[in-house]
Amino acid sequence: MKVLIIEDEKALSDSICTYLKAQDYICETAADFHTAISKTEIFDYDCILLDITLPGGNGLSILKELRLNNKSDGVLIISAKNSIDDKVSGLMLGADDYLAKPFHLSELNARIAAIIRRKQFGGSSVINFHNITVDTQAKTAKVNGQSLDLTKKEFDLLLYFISNKGRVISKTAIAEHLWGDEMEGNLDFIYTHIKNLRKKLQEAGDADYIKSVYGMGYKFTDQ
Amino acid sequence: MKLLAKYNRLNIAATILVLLVASGCYYFVLTYVLIHQLDKDLRLEEQEVKDYVQQNNHLPNPANYKDQKTVFESTNETGKRKIFSVTLYDSTEREEQPGRRLVFYINSGGAVYKATITKSRQETEDLVRLIVLLTVSIVVLLLVVLFIINRVVFRRLWQPFNNTLQQLKQYSPGGEQTIQVQPTTITEFKELNDAVTGMTNRVAKDYEALKSFTENASHEIQTPLAVIKSKLELLMQGEHYTEAQVHYIQQIEEEINRLSKLNQSLLLLTKIENQQFSVTIPININALIHQQLDKFEELLHARQIRLSANMNNDCIVAMNEVMAGVLISNLVTNAIKHNIDKGSINIVLQNNQLIISNTGAALSTNPGELFERFKKDKAHSDSLGLGLSIVKKICEQNHFNIHYTSEGNRHIVTLLFSA
Repeated sequence: MKVLIIEDEKALSDSICTYLKAQDYICETAADFHTAISKTEIFDYDCILLDITLPGGNGLSILKELRLNNKSDGVLIISAKNSIDDKVSGLMLGADDYLAKPFHLSELNARIAAIIRRKQFGGSSVINFHNITVDTQAKTAKVNGQSLDLTKKEFDLLLYFISNKGRVISKTAIAEHLWGDEMEGNLDFIYTHIKNLRKKLQEAGDADYIKSVYGMGYKFTDQ
Repeated sequence: MKLLAKYNRLNIAATILVLLVASGCYYFVLTYVLIHQLDKDLRLEEQEVKDYVQQNNHLPNPANYKDQKTVFESTNETGKRKIFSVTLYDSTEREEQPGRRLVFYINSGGAVYKATITKSRQETEDLVRLIVLLTVSIVVLLLVVLFIINRVVFRRLWQPFNNTLQQLKQYSPGGEQTIQVQPTTITEFKELNDAVTGMTNRVAKDYEALKSFTENASHEIQTPLAVIKSKLELLMQGEHYTEAQVHYIQQIEEEINRLSKLNQSLLLLTKIENQQFSVTIPININALIHQQLDKFEELLHARQIRLSANMNNDCIVAMNEVMAGVLISNLVTNAIKHNIDKGSINIVLQNNQLIISNTGAALSTNPGELFERFKKDKAHSDSLGLGLSIVKKICEQNHFNIHYTSEGNRHIVTLLFSA
């Protein structure tokens, strides 16, 4: 999987790179408009992370150029402006998703995975993790072929965990993923959802992959 | 009071006063002049009588005309000659008439006679009456003409002013409309138009500067925040931290999240204040509330919060989509966030009124104060204290009425759409 990060803030693109590489992505970076244009013209990427304000030009022009040349690379806009106009015009121009800065790397990773799934498998995609099978299209999950009776949030949570397998995910990141950013403050209620999900997975005969990491959050891992 | 009405009132009052005073003066001056004329005639008459007596040495025949009578009486005593006004009785017209009388004494054929010449003032009175009538007619005519001028001409004269005023009322900085002044030849209106155009240009420029400053500032703050947040997340992937180090990371994470939310909320408030969400569409409030409730359905279930919603009638409100989303989401999440386990939420939506009441810890502050920025109850010190002020700002912009009351551990928010 090849990802191009078009972002002028080197410290940020470094972080994204480090996180994505651990998920077995191949990352390239472009720090200005012209590098970005020439890279997108020559190569194909599974997903492009696109910042809108770039030295040398507007990120949306790169998106326009891409779609004009009939390139179907997935595009995820990462903008600091969080303005409705940018979001709307970005999606109108054919961006696949929009994420406002500052974001959680785990959220970014889950969104990239979703875009790539949509692009590559035409919308139907099955993800496996050991004996767990998740169908992102039908929104169902099975353990050893046996269907799990998950609520919508539990399914979202499971998919989020598998997308970020092996990484520590903070409670805030989980809360924002499940409920958006309105739920500031007390995050203890996430625990209830995690407890239920863990119970359902275990009842279906699965090992306990959800590890609680003291003081920081949770980790979905087989180690 | 309208300027025109005030001006008219003054104008008309002054006109009437001046005309009344003038007609009063007229009356007295005319009366004086006419009486003077009559007296002159009477003296001429006296002279004629005297001349006649001197030539013929006897009295002339008393002449009686309609408006002049001469009477001679023989008398023993003589007196002073005098002229005075009298009231006469006209037997043919059977009415009293004003008159002027001259009395003098004359010697004729050795006897003394008292001569009385009386002249009727009827004609002069008629003249004065006619003049007063004319004056009154002029006043009435003047009023009518003034009225017509005000109605027709003034409206047209004030047209450029009204046009500018109308546009000013609709003007909002950052809006798409600019002020298009109507060309005029009137100096005052020209100056006004120049001032208005200059001012709105300055306002637009300042507004643009403020807008781009807010956005740029937010951009500049979000970028380092994004960097710190990502580095922290990478740091969290490490292993073998001591308990103290974990604690530090946890605290840094909390504060970073607070800071980024604070920045976003302030940006949202600024945008609402700058009226950047001015495009309105019909919004179905019921659907918005259901959407929010669905999102938290499992959470409500997990915390055993009882929910009763009474939203039978569709409530359609014309407002901005983004603002409506923020408004409803803030109110609903507040009711959930500040609730207690095994508590309850009551939502009633009818007749354009939304009432959300929920259980929660009793307040230590006055409920009304929670609408102010950064005001929060001590029980929820981890919240930002901006949620309700955003709600209030949205209500102010849309002219909605919102009240927050609390009775013990029950909190009630009442929102009246389109107050």
